[in-house]
Amino acid sequence: MIDIRNLSFHIGSFSLKDINLTIGDGEYFVILGPTGAGKTVFLECIAGLHHVKQGQIWINGREVTRLTPEERNLGYVPQDYVLFPFLNVVDNIGFGLRQTRSSKSEMHRRIKSLAELLGISPLLERDVNTLSGGEKQRVALARALATSPRILLLDEPLSNLDLQTSKYLRLELLRIHRELGITIVHITHNQVEAEEMADRIAIINIGSLEQVGKPHDVFFYPENEIVSDFIGAMNILDCDSYRPLGNGLAEADCGGLRIILAHDGDSVRRIALFPRDIYVSDTQPPGPQINRFKGTITSIASRGATVRLEIKIGEKTLYAEMPDDIFGGMNLAVGKEVFLILKLRRMRVL
Amino acid sequence: MSKVLKGVGGERAFKGATISALVLLTVFIAGIVLSLLAYTDWGGFVSALFSEEILFAIRLSVITATTAAVISVAIAIPVAYTLSQHKFPGKDIVDSLLDLPIVMSPVALGAGLLVFFSTPIGSGIEDNVLRFTFAVPGIILAQVAVVSALAVRLLKSTFDNIDPRYEQVSRTLGCSKAEAFVRVTLPLARNGIIASAILTWARAIGEFGATVTLAGATAMKTETLPIAIFLNLASANIARATTILFVLVAVAIGALFIIRKTVGRSI
Repeated sequence: MIDIRNLSFHIGSFSLKDINLTIGDGEYFVILGPTGAGKTVFLECIAGLHHVKQGQIWINGREVTRLTPEERNLGYVPQDYVLFPFLNVVDNIGFGLRQTRSSKSEMHRRIKSLAELLGISPLLERDVNTLSGGEKQRVALARALATSPRILLLDEPLSNLDLQTSKYLRLELLRIHRELGITIVHITHNQVEAEEMADRIAIINIGSLEQVGKPHDVFFYPENEIVSDFIGAMNILDCDSYRPLGNGLAEADCGGLRIILAHDGDSVRRIALFPRDIYVSDTQPPGPQINRFKGTITSIASRGATVRLEIKIGEKTLYAEMPDDIFGGMNLAVGKEVFLILKLRRMRVL
Repeated sequence: MSKVLKGVGGERAFKGATISALVLLTVFIAGIVLSLLAYTDWGGFVSALFSEEILFAIRLSVITATTAAVISVAIAIPVAYTLSQHKFPGKDIVDSLLDLPIVMSPVALGAGLLVFFSTPIGSGIEDNVLRFTFAVPGIILAQVAVVSALAVRLLKSTFDNIDPRYEQVSRTLGCSKAEAFVRVTLPLARNGIIASAILTWARAIGEFGATVTLAGATAMKTETLPIAIFLNLASANIARATTILFVLVAVAIGALFIIRKTVGRSI
């Protein structure tokens, strides 16, 4: 268990402000926040890489606030993996084991089983500088897990990987978490990642903890404006009628929109959908005509890296969000007619 | 002016000017080597090379310079690491002070050491510990005084370029601060350490000013290679002086070659 009490920490002009947080044994805990929110500094405080002067950090019933990193026995994987470039894969994984004075055969056995767990057995003799991003991440995980820590700290473990690798590693991390029964603290700025992986989420912004809870609670019931601003307001559709279609599908009529969704229950009262899960196109997209609507843009707002569109479909107003560069590539303006696709897989029944 | 230097013509003019400077400097240095080659009496070269005096000078130079390089690098590693890692009040002053031997005239440095050994503390060391003035240890001390600052400078830039996260990761893997330094930082600094060892050694081989001031120029006693050149020129033995010159040129080229081979062209 990790117990953080009244932790404040200043570094340069940035500070973590009075953080209180308890992370339970065996939890997959995600710390979510925008870039520059202080997620990395917070993780580094837990790892013992900063001298914390205000507040306390307890790990498994022991106060570790003033202990050095080597006295805390935590697994830590920094962003960009930071593998030792002068060692090959085996020696990187075995680095911590050499510190524990394990015997040769013990080390060998441990490295072999970790390599199997992470699917990197064929890489063991490789030079780490020749590995791909996903391979490096696996080696870094094996290195951190080698000394059998009960807590694993991961700093943006999936963010510098291509989409395919990142999706696959997501499942791998969940499997490792399950198989080893360890506590994982995972920081990310990616909401989808947080939602899909976390047992509980903490939202952090400019050094303050804004909300802690189950993904469902954080995303659907933001406690304050900072959280709802960061998460982005949801599209909530109230549904009038409902008809099961069989095979786990159902059809609902929500304010004049006929929506097909994956649902087995008896009824659907409300559906929620993130703005980022609505595709917008200025031309008629090809494919089956399911959950597709035609609407008119009523407002356009830039939100940094993303653009938020307000689109009116009949009487209903929906919000859609898209990356800045994709918006720039389309010829969209207020008053223009657009085509929407509501992603079936991402709809949530409330 | 600006009209002339714009466009393709301007590019050519600028390129021409910079390349001319490169050619000029290269020709200058090549000229020195060539004039040496032309001047040398090759029949006398071999016999001079194996003369007792030159063999003595080579041996003394290699021993003193190697000792001085080892001592300098050994001291410079912790010094440079500290300067690279820590902020402390007066760091700028310490930093400048350590740079002083690089910009100072070696003769002045040697004179300073000579003065130190005439103080009560200095003469106490001389009488009870080790004799430095006009003796072989003085050569090593003079060389260390001149080259250690160079080693610190080179190693500091090496340590500055090492990402501190390597040490941090090793700490989370169970290393103490000292173990992290030995197991991670030193291997990462390997090339820089090799380069600074070779450069300090080559610089120590060529050291003259501080050496001659502190250890004197006594033939067959404190006669390193540069001092041998000086002594032979003074006694108008030009053939022998040029022979030693060649030895020094060979040492310098060899050192540069090894650095290129082991650590690339980063220095």
